[in-house]
Amino acid sequence: MELVCLGLNHRSAPVEVRERFAVLDSRLGERAAELKSLPGIEESVVVSTCNRTEFYLAGESGEGAIRSLRELIGRDADGHWYEKHRLEAAIHLCEVASGLDSMVLGETEIFGQIKDAYRKAHEAGATSGVLNRLFQRAFGVGKKIRTETAIQEGATSVAGSAVELAEKIFGKLKGCRVIVIGAGEMSRQTAQALVSRGASSVFVTNRSFDRAEELAEEMGGRAVHFDEWQGVLAGVDVVISSTSAPHPVVMPFHVEAVRRVRKFRPLFLIDIAVPRDIDPAVAEIEEVYLYDIDTLEQLASEARTRREAQIAECKRLIQEELAKLNLPGT
Amino acid sequence: MGRGVDRWFLILATLFAALGAVTGMLMLKHGRRSRWTVVWMALAFLAQLGFLSVRGESRGACPLIGSGEILAFLAWALTLFYLAVGPAYRLSLLGVFSAPLVVLFQVIALLPGVWVAIPVAVSGTDAWKETHSAMSVMGYGALALAAVAAVMFLVLDRQLKTQHLSSGLFRNMPPVRELLTSMRRLLWLGWVILSVGVVAGFRMPHGGEAHLHLFAALGVWLSYAVLLGVIQFRGLAGRHFARVTVILFVVSLSVFAFI
Repeated sequence: MELVCLGLNHRSAPVEVRERFAVLDSRLGERAAELKSLPGIEESVVVSTCNRTEFYLAGESGEGAIRSLRELIGRDADGHWYEKHRLEAAIHLCEVASGLDSMVLGETEIFGQIKDAYRKAHEAGATSGVLNRLFQRAFGVGKKIRTETAIQEGATSVAGSAVELAEKIFGKLKGCRVIVIGAGEMSRQTAQALVSRGASSVFVTNRSFDRAEELAEEMGGRAVHFDEWQGVLAGVDVVISSTSAPHPVVMPFHVEAVRRVRKFRPLFLIDIAVPRDIDPAVAEIEEVYLYDIDTLEQLASEARTRREAQIAECKRLIQEELAKLNLPGT
Repeated sequence: MGRGVDRWFLILATLFAALGAVTGMLMLKHGRRSRWTVVWMALAFLAQLGFLSVRGESRGACPLIGSGEILAFLAWALTLFYLAVGPAYRLSLLGVFSAPLVVLFQVIALLPGVWVAIPVAVSGTDAWKETHSAMSVMGYGALALAAVAAVMFLVLDRQLKTQHLSSGLFRNMPPVRELLTSMRRLLWLGWVILSVGVVAGFRMPHGGEAHLHLFAALGVWLSYAVLLGVIQFRGLAGRHFARVTVILFVVSLSVFAFI
């Protein structure tokens, strides 16, 4: 038996090619079973995410299995597909499961997606001795890499960095109240990231009230007229500001005015506007933690560098773990 | 039990706490949190219990006579509250910050001149007096831990304010809000226990000299009451709250060192 992988990803193929070969989540098992019925293919798992479509196959001859698959998918995108054989295919799966091959290095979502793809193929009866052992091993390696290296440490985006800082200030974000000043894309992403971690009561204010209402609806929050946002400040924990105003919108006196009512609770201010929306003097108020776009971007960049520095260690761990077993098909 | 066993128990407790502090700090330097700090502190706690048990037997009363015993008892109370509070609030780093204070208290307790090698048995004990001593020092244990949490807050607050966020210490620190909550709860706990100690102090038989001591205790109790009142009803910015908590603990401890 020989293990092979045929795939394309965000590096080998543009989105218009990837979307042609994408397989719906609900059809992953069915597709794997279909492949198993092709000549030369005895086992198969289909992995399909927004960044990749990969076919893991086992057959008497790797070349034979690939030939059968290529006949099915056609030849017009030949230049975008990559082939991995035997141990190289096993290493590739471990790297994918560990997030080493992802667009955002070290991201964790892929691990669940591969688990799901394998489960569906297994339930459809498309896997057996070779792929079962390979995938179980890959899941073990993925977990080990996540716990023993820093590959997933630190947020790699501005929104992610803001969430990490918010968690450093407030702990769990459940119940945290947020106001978004200026309904731009960056503030939407940041607020969304906070909401996904449990923040509630999102207030949105914008010079155009329609836009504020639109974003508030998307977040399940409440729109506030632009001349009324100061009244909301007393009750919130996080302020995300991203207006296109040429001068600061949030001034020290705005915060000073609500300190007593807030009982001096910590206040996290995220300024992602250029020019800046929040007067830097606000940071001098004791309970205020103010971060601007440069600092957040720098934090994200440092995290990316730290993750990149872990790649060699992760690859060494993968080699070490695979060497411990004599995986069939490799 | 043989003579000197109490001293060995206290030395052992000091070594365990020192190990907790050193291993915890070394791990932090490498950006990780030590799982062993709580274990070393638990071992220190057991050794402290051994010391208190042997000493209590020799005294025939609660071992709270002289600065050495008071400091050892305080170190025990601090460890006790850390073990009760730290894991519950996932403030494992509290151990790394508490351990040096435990070591300091116990090293002073072991110093020549402070350490009493042959404890004299107490003749005739008074329940109020025992309650006063034990509850006051227990209360101080909780207040000491609140001061430790306050120091942690000040460190974290400075890192957040100056945006020095890449150290292992920063990554392993508990969140600001959790530190403030634990400080507040520990202060309440310490103050309630101290209240029992103060009430017992006024009920125990005492001469003129004891009056000064009791008024000092009342002063400390009132200071903490004011701080808690301000926190509860007015609120206080975290940095002010933390500074006052540390200063109040150091001042009140110093007051009793001289009275």
